[in-house]
Amino acid sequence: MAHKPPRRPRLFGVDRTPSGVQRAVDDELRFHFDMTMRELMAGGMNPEEARREAERRFGDVALVRDHLAHIDRQRVGQEKRAEWWSGFWHDLRYAMRGIRRQPGFASVIVVALALGIGANAAMFGIVDRLLFRPPAFLISPERTHHLYFQRVRDGSVFTGNSAQYQRFLDISESATTTEVIGAFSTRRVAVGTGEDTRELTLGAMSASLWQLFNARPVIGRFFTADEDRDIGGANVVVLSYGYWQSKYAGSDSVLGKSMQIGPAAFTIIGVAPKGFAATQLLTPSAFLPIAVSAPQDFGEMWQRYRTTYNITWLEMFARGKPGVSVEALTADLTNAYRRSYDRQVAIQPRTTPIAIAQPRVVLYPVFEERGPEQSADTKVAKWLFGVALVVLLIACANVGNLLLGRALRRHREIAVRLALGVSRSRLARQLLTESLLLAVIGAAAGLFVAQWGGELLRATLMPQVEWESAIADRRILLFATVTALLAGLLAGLAPIFQSRRTDVAVALKAGAREGYAHRSLLRTSLLVLQAALSVILLVGAGLFVRSLQGVSAVDPGYDVDRIVWVEPRLRGAQLDSAQRKALRLALIERARQQPGVEDATVVLTVPFSGSYVDDIYLPGADSASKLGAFLTQGASTSYFITTGTRIIRGRSFTDEDRKGGPLVVVVSQSMARGLWPNQEAIGQCIKTSERTNPCRTVIGVAEDVKYGNFGDDWNLVYYLPEAQLGDNVYSLFVRARGNAANAVDGLRKSLQSMMPGAGYVVVKSLESVVAPSMRSWRLGATMFATFGLLALLLAALGLYGVIAHSVAQRTHEMGVRVALGASTRDVVALVMRESLRTVAVGVVLGVIAALVAGRWISPLLFEVSPRDPTVLAVVVVTLLAVALLASWIPALRAARVEPGVALRAD
Amino acid sequence: MTTELDLLQGTLDLLVLKTLTWGPMHGYAVARWIRETTDDELHVEEGALYTALHRMEKRGWIAAEWGVSENNRKARYYKLTAAGRRQLTGKAAAFERYAEAVFRVLRTA
Repeated sequence: MAHKPPRRPRLFGVDRTPSGVQRAVDDELRFHFDMTMRELMAGGMNPEEARREAERRFGDVALVRDHLAHIDRQRVGQEKRAEWWSGFWHDLRYAMRGIRRQPGFASVIVVALALGIGANAAMFGIVDRLLFRPPAFLISPERTHHLYFQRVRDGSVFTGNSAQYQRFLDISESATTTEVIGAFSTRRVAVGTGEDTRELTLGAMSASLWQLFNARPVIGRFFTADEDRDIGGANVVVLSYGYWQSKYAGSDSVLGKSMQIGPAAFTIIGVAPKGFAATQLLTPSAFLPIAVSAPQDFGEMWQRYRTTYNITWLEMFARGKPGVSVEALTADLTNAYRRSYDRQVAIQPRTTPIAIAQPRVVLYPVFEERGPEQSADTKVAKWLFGVALVVLLIACANVGNLLLGRALRRHREIAVRLALGVSRSRLARQLLTESLLLAVIGAAAGLFVAQWGGELLRATLMPQVEWESAIADRRILLFATVTALLAGLLAGLAPIFQSRRTDVAVALKAGAREGYAHRSLLRTSLLVLQAALSVILLVGAGLFVRSLQGVSAVDPGYDVDRIVWVEPRLRGAQLDSAQRKALRLALIERARQQPGVEDATVVLTVPFSGSYVDDIYLPGADSASKLGAFLTQGASTSYFITTGTRIIRGRSFTDEDRKGGPLVVVVSQSMARGLWPNQEAIGQCIKTSERTNPCRTVIGVAEDVKYGNFGDDWNLVYYLPEAQLGDNVYSLFVRARGNAANAVDGLRKSLQSMMPGAGYVVVKSLESVVAPSMRSWRLGATMFATFGLLALLLAALGLYGVIAHSVAQRTHEMGVRVALGASTRDVVALVMRESLRTVAVGVVLGVIAALVAGRWISPLLFEVSPRDPTVLAVVVVTLLAVALLASWIPALRAARVEPGVALRAD
Repeated sequence: MTTELDLLQGTLDLLVLKTLTWGPMHGYAVARWIRETTDDELHVEEGALYTALHRMEKRGWIAAEWGVSENNRKARYYKLTAAGRRQLTGKAAAFERYAEAVFRVLRTA
């Protein structure tokens, strides 16, 4: 006896919330009990009996009620998931159909996103390596720290990471909250013998430092604490993986072989795993026990390095015990430092008293680039990462604008679907799926961009870093995915906002043209944003290009490209002062005989390398040191010819300026001007080093030179004839006939054979020494320019798209204008005026933003104001020109509208 | 009632599915239909019946919909789905084979 169900569509809405599910169960059960009781009462029971009987028949009501609700909640969950997926597939198919229908439109979007995401993924890879990723193999990076030492000196706080060996021993001994304290120091050391001798960067490390890492040797073993002793230690060396591969072709037979390092022979005992660089960004070629290698490097001075607190030359790292907070660790290490400082004061009474110095330890992450002293390269890399993000933002604005344009074209379709009952949230999801799909495709393409551009970036940005990871590693993939999702979300937002504003009734009533004839404020704002961001990037590019121009145009006062720098290294060969002098002269003579060499000289101070600073006194006056520090250059008679530094007044050195002859000096122009303003410098007297020294007569004034840094004006330089100087560590400058780099190998070969014993020569072009100090500007200029052009391209694309679209939708209006007698020129002017107005707003905002942001970028620039008017003017003109160009074609199209056709349409 | 027959696992599902072949009905009607058809011989605890209904709805064998009962009250109607019909055919055949086998054993002398 079945009841016929009523043939009606769903009468009651279904509430799928948990409480709604529970209510439905209760409703169903109440109906059941009511019906049962009614039946029973019809059979003659009273209500109370009927209720009891109904419950008996049912069983445990409370239990079943809960159970039913539980089953229903599960079912509702299943249904929701299924609906979500089916909706998702539907949206996806819809989006793919859209892409297939307009492949050109889709590819523009994909390319824009690919460039944006690719640039970011590539930059992220670099910034990640520099700043985010701890050194390879490091155990518990969160507990491992780089020790910086802070003390007050002359009223100002001084922070540095350089420490003494004795300090390392003191702190290791008295710290109680650390698991490991290690010391590390890199230096350039001659490795090999004879002509094979090369200077390599080696890492000297305490044996304890290995414990910071969970690295296992590829072959052999690492050294132990017993081997790392200055007395009774062992001459052992662990090779880096890269050096093992390149020098020994990865052969197992290197173990036990001997390796000439500096003055001593070391035994190879192991090879570190690939990627192991200890605490460094750049992998040293090999690792030595610090207490064994340092005495050999420093020779007789080792005693002073070992026992005094005068010489700081190593860095310290510590891992705290588990559970020790950073504050507690800092406090403990500070205590240990103060105890060590007390010992220092006891041994060296001239040390600043502890009450004034207030020494304390500050902990930083292991990588130096994350400490307080960041290199210019890292700062530029950080900026570039920011710039890459701006490019992505522009790409998103662009894509958003394109999608928005299409949403506007589909205005009526959307209105119809809303009228048919498609919910706005459903519609929003569909639009979002579309932009996300495009973003994901864009990200996939972007990874190719990153792969290709990443190699380029790595090579230009960090040429010496051994990149052990592939460019598309997990973190970068993750980054690209997240970026793509954010970009898709961001780009999808614009059309969604627009769809929310769609008024169904108005849209349906309007014809095709009115349907979207209203100008979209959102589109205009996106355009303004793009223009503004492009201005910022282009201004950045311009500033860096100007900096680079400035740096390249600087006349350093010597011919960088012509000079070869030769450093003779004795490496244990015992020569007295006279023998050393003889060797120098012989080397100069041999260099001069080389084909392709013009001249040679000895030098004391090498630009961008090491410098000698000394005090200067004037007769009758106090020390001249208030002018700044004075740089000493020791020179042969051929010095000025070799370097190309011009003598402005007076004369250069001659053979007459010999030992025992009248004491002479040549001063730089700035020095002459500073010491004797409005007087003739030649003939004046200065005393070097000590007030009591005899007068030196100024015989010449030389042009200013840049010795330390392109940016500073440190030009107080004086030249002394080598003959009248005491014994010093000289090196040689050789002037090549053509480019210095071509002369390097020949000079090394011929000069090496002159070196006594295990001595060797280091030969390199001066250019290779100077170039790295220009790199941050070159990098900034290249990268900013690349990103800036990218931004300009995207902006032009966006502008073109929007103008073309707005012209197309105003075909009717243009037709009316033409019919009423407007000329081609009028129409073109109308369209272009409007687009220019939009861009002009963006340009103004961008210029303001660039002026504000300039404050932060100015430390990275070279002699260019961040408000450089030329740069600003060029950028503004460029952007407006691009805007004109982008609106030119659509404007022409608008002007060619046939009034008849336009008016008949729709 | 002298002996109460306990329902074997899955038998209740079979009964409910079969009942619903007569057309959509609410839980109370299903219970009553089973009771009347079996002359109350099968003692079906109604709580278990509802549990079976909801479980089968979750599995997609039957679909539920709110409707209005003969006495004009809001009631939850269940009807067979295509999947439910397939289940019924399969289960019925299996049950017959099962019952046959049991009978064969019981009839041996």
